[in-house]
Amino acid sequence: MPELIRLWHLFRPYRGWMLGGFAVALITLLANVTLMAISAWFITAMAVAGAAGVAMNYFTPAAIIRGSAIARTAGRYFERLITHEATLRQLAGLRVWFYRHLEPLAPARLMAYHSADLLTRIRADIDALDNLYVRVLVPVLVAITAGLAFFVFTALFDLGLALLLLGMLLIAGVLLPWWGHRLGKQPGRRIVEIQAELRQAGIDGTQGLSELLIYGAADSHARHMDALSRALVAEQARMSQLTGIAQAATGLTANLTLWGMLWFGIPLVHDGSLAPPQLAMLALFSLATFEAVAPLPMAFQQLESTLTAARRLFAIVDTEPAVPEPTGPTPQPRDHGLSIEGLRFRYPSPVAGSGSGGSDSPDPGMSLGSSSSSGMHSDTKPPAILDGIDLELPPGRRVAIVGATGSGKTTLFNLLLRFWAPEAGSIRLGGEPLEHFPGEDLRRRIALVSQHTHLFDTSIRENLLIAAPEAPQGLLEQACATAQIHDFIAELPEGYDTWVGETGVRLSGGQARRIAIARALLRDAPILLLDEPTEGLDAVTERALMDAVQRLMTGRTVLLITHKPVALAQMDEILVLDQGRVIERGTHAELLKAPIYPRLLGLDLDA
Amino acid sequence: MTAPRTLLDDQKPLAARWLRLSVGLGLGNGVLLILQAWLLAQVIDALVFTNAALADVTGWLWPLLALFALRALLAWASEQNAFRAAAQVKISLRDRLYRHIQAAGPAWMAGQRSGAIAEDLTRGIEAVEAYYSRYLPAMSLTALIPLTILIVVLPLDWLSALIMLVTAPLIPIFMILIGSGVERLNQQLWKDLARMGAHFLDVIQGMTTLKLFNASRREAEVIARISEDYRASTMRVLRVAFLTSAVLELFSTLGIAIIAVFIGFRLYQLELPIPELIAPPEISFVTGFFILLLAPEFYAPLRNLGTHYHGRMEAIAAAERLVAVMETELPAPPKQVASLSADSPLQIRFEGVSFSYEPGRPALAGAQFEINPGERIALVGPSGAGKTTVASLLLGFIRPEAGRISVDGEDLNALAIDDWRRRLAWLPQQPRLFQGTIADNIRLGLPDATLDEVRQAAERAQATEFIERLPLGYDSPVGERGSGLSGGQIQRVALARAFLRDARLVILDEATASLDPASEALVQRAVDQLAEGRSMLIIAHRLSTVRNADRILVIDDGRIVEAGTHAELIERDGPYRRMVRLLEPGGAHA
Repeated sequence: MPELIRLWHLFRPYRGWMLGGFAVALITLLANVTLMAISAWFITAMAVAGAAGVAMNYFTPAAIIRGSAIARTAGRYFERLITHEATLRQLAGLRVWFYRHLEPLAPARLMAYHSADLLTRIRADIDALDNLYVRVLVPVLVAITAGLAFFVFTALFDLGLALLLLGMLLIAGVLLPWWGHRLGKQPGRRIVEIQAELRQAGIDGTQGLSELLIYGAADSHARHMDALSRALVAEQARMSQLTGIAQAATGLTANLTLWGMLWFGIPLVHDGSLAPPQLAMLALFSLATFEAVAPLPMAFQQLESTLTAARRLFAIVDTEPAVPEPTGPTPQPRDHGLSIEGLRFRYPSPVAGSGSGGSDSPDPGMSLGSSSSSGMHSDTKPPAILDGIDLELPPGRRVAIVGATGSGKTTLFNLLLRFWAPEAGSIRLGGEPLEHFPGEDLRRRIALVSQHTHLFDTSIRENLLIAAPEAPQGLLEQACATAQIHDFIAELPEGYDTWVGETGVRLSGGQARRIAIARALLRDAPILLLDEPTEGLDAVTERALMDAVQRLMTGRTVLLITHKPVALAQMDEILVLDQGRVIERGTHAELLKAPIYPRLLGLDLDA
Repeated sequence: MTAPRTLLDDQKPLAARWLRLSVGLGLGNGVLLILQAWLLAQVIDALVFTNAALADVTGWLWPLLALFALRALLAWASEQNAFRAAAQVKISLRDRLYRHIQAAGPAWMAGQRSGAIAEDLTRGIEAVEAYYSRYLPAMSLTALIPLTILIVVLPLDWLSALIMLVTAPLIPIFMILIGSGVERLNQQLWKDLARMGAHFLDVIQGMTTLKLFNASRREAEVIARISEDYRASTMRVLRVAFLTSAVLELFSTLGIAIIAVFIGFRLYQLELPIPELIAPPEISFVTGFFILLLAPEFYAPLRNLGTHYHGRMEAIAAAERLVAVMETELPAPPKQVASLSADSPLQIRFEGVSFSYEPGRPALAGAQFEINPGERIALVGPSGAGKTTVASLLLGFIRPEAGRISVDGEDLNALAIDDWRRRLAWLPQQPRLFQGTIADNIRLGLPDATLDEVRQAAERAQATEFIERLPLGYDSPVGERGSGLSGGQIQRVALARAFLRDARLVILDEATASLDPASEALVQRAVDQLAEGRSMLIIAHRLSTVRNADRILVIDDGRIVEAGTHAELIERDGPYRRMVRLLEPGGAHA
């Protein structure tokens, strides 16, 4: 229930719309009930008057029938318009609200989430919240208000009948929804769980298709999927059974009310305390009133899934960013040198699978389901990724870092970009502590080229402009020429307007990497971080690209992660990292005589 | 491309039985409803005109009570059957979809977004439910129930029947007129929705990049704009759609009102505002009240049509995606299946094999080489030269466009693919571990293996040491990328798989490329063990890993350009030596 209160607060800006939706819904309902009741009264009264040959005023009731018919039609139209307008406005607002909370968490806090999971949250979970307003909030308010009005109206004729109506409305409007909510909870939760398992099996079964086929396990995986599919349907069948029972029970309650009205009303007519047309009216009136409570059982049966969606959203929104933004004034660094002292860092468990050390971005595949890995990490403290690093990097100096996967190279970059905060030790930029720089101010001074740069699903031009929104075409081409990709782009039929990314032209890894390098060139930042910029390229391209990178490095402070001897030979200093410590340092020539360095480069196998 | 509608209709036979039951029950409910209205009219009639006491009408009231109970039962049963109809279709469609994906194979998957495919398998299939459980039964009942009511009303009062007959067809006609326009708008809306989803995924996956360029907060405005655009275009569709239902509502309300007024006027002996020629039939109160009760029920199914139309739209949009997947062409099965004997030595020959992923850009252009039984072959060359294509061909994921691959003289295309794959082991750069325990993952190719056999395989893969150190040992759960395990550990679990399979040909696709020296040494030791008595094809990026191969094949532009041992090739002034020089200027070592 605390979720409901939080959601209510979130909906605050749209309260005017919500009130409007409620008012129109109420009017529509009342018009409909009036229409049914007056029609029944009218016909009976006309028949009685006709049979007795007495005069009656049939203009007023006929006018009421016309009026309520029009009110009902118009009301229904505006009710739908207003509630949907209100909902869509809320959803649009909530998406931005969610994104603003999500953005500070990237990448550190989002490592544990699968990208498909986050997508589900920003799309489906937010959409699920509309259920709350259209199906729960408005109907509940309308049911309460209208229910009281119905009671008072019936009480004008007979209190006993009024109490009967109220009791039956309570059964359909409170008891049945409560019952549905209670029994719907368990299958509702199971449905969400099985769907998640099914999605996981779907991803396993498509991304791991090669293994499944080669090891002859494809058929058994298909059977596993089918079993999950059947289990899902079985839970849905339970849910549908509840829905069916709730619907049938609501209809039955309405009918029983009509029946009860007759059973208890007929004696009243017989002894003259109620006119026959009045009982005909009350009978049909009572039937019509159930329109007010009919949507409630379904709404409450699904309330659990709405609240689950809300909880999933709040879980993200309530996460603290890994690195707090400083509050003081932005420091003015004296130059663009970096100085690192006694730097220590470990990833918090359970995200810290040792396999994740080599990834600089929140690897979308790293869905370390907290449940599955907790068993393996529960009592061991995760190992230190960086364990006391010292590094002096005056402006314009070029340092390379060499080390095996998991030795902490990429983590060092993440700390320099302030995606994570160090556990101990300090990093200074131009003499000022790194943690005094607001994130955006810091990143304005740094350009990064890594193996995993994301190309967005848009044109090549737009992808380049991310780095420099104002850059003219000439500058873009110059950057691309330096990155050895201009000729390729110029040959494409649509040139710089070629669509890239998932739905666009498929670029090879090397081509995408070179566009990313052009993007970093456009950034023109004084500090350059390069994370294996040529990994996975063939020898010729690599050579050309290394030349481009060399030009890019001039006059900049550079940290380069690589194990390519060509590049290493030209660096001022090389650090060899192993398990978070610097174990060897020196120039390429010096290090060739060291024990570990040649081994890491694969240069020792002749020996 | 098949129309999505056809896909949905093709599944109908699966649902037919339940659909018929559901419609039958719904119709039964409708008939009982008429009976109920009749009983009710009798009670009111007795009440109004004979001043009946309760005892006089209990003869009507008790059956009425029974009817209520029966109708509730029918309503529930009808709902159950509608669900079952959709359930059968969902189960069958999901299974077929996934098996189709398997048959299309990894080569096809490479061009797909696995997230989108997973979405199709889950939500995409769920979206067809409403078509079978709501739309189809509603369509049948829309025709049947008003017709039944009309048949009952016609002999009682032809004037009311006439009003129904005239107003009812207006509703579907009007709906079709407006509906076609809405449908177009609606399809546009679905596209907008898909685009919005794609954009969000793009932003989420690229958030780190956006952040690096300080563009992530700018993005909030883009998201606001896209959401706002979506709201505006949705409201455009809804305004028309709601107008349609408002008009429907107006028609049905008018119909009811005219029927009510005409009955009322006749009961009061007033002139009706209709031409003199038509003499309105006399009507009794009980008939009039009965018809009045039936009038709303007559229009109700027609009015509800609009609601179910939405379910249909959603199902068709989902079916469009499913059709796109299910229409992928599958490789044709071999005409005659040959099989290898159990102890076949596996002499493999590539005879002028060509293959291209895109027309005009051959990945392999007449590759010619052989792998002799027990030989250790290394395949090196620049990226894009065709190394991985060779592996994909051997694994049977793709087939040569020209030339042929023979195994002990038999064409690989003609071999039973499962039997062939049983002789292979494959270790890619990033082996996939599946949801389950470590033991499950080792058993992948041999589900019946005992724990002892699993242990032996792990032992030979140098994996026992770390597995047994885990608190849960072989029962430790692992996730999609082997959460909690390092790259080298994952490689060794994958190697254990290969040992358990006892394959004849081992294909290593850059298996040790991303490992640290310590892990690499362990994996290498395990690989050396695996190679004993087996043929092995090593695809390598790092030249250091190929030096002890029996033969090195240098591939460039889809052709084998050089072959020989490391010592031979380094002597020659060929591409191999150039590659070595380029990468390792510490020339002394080459």
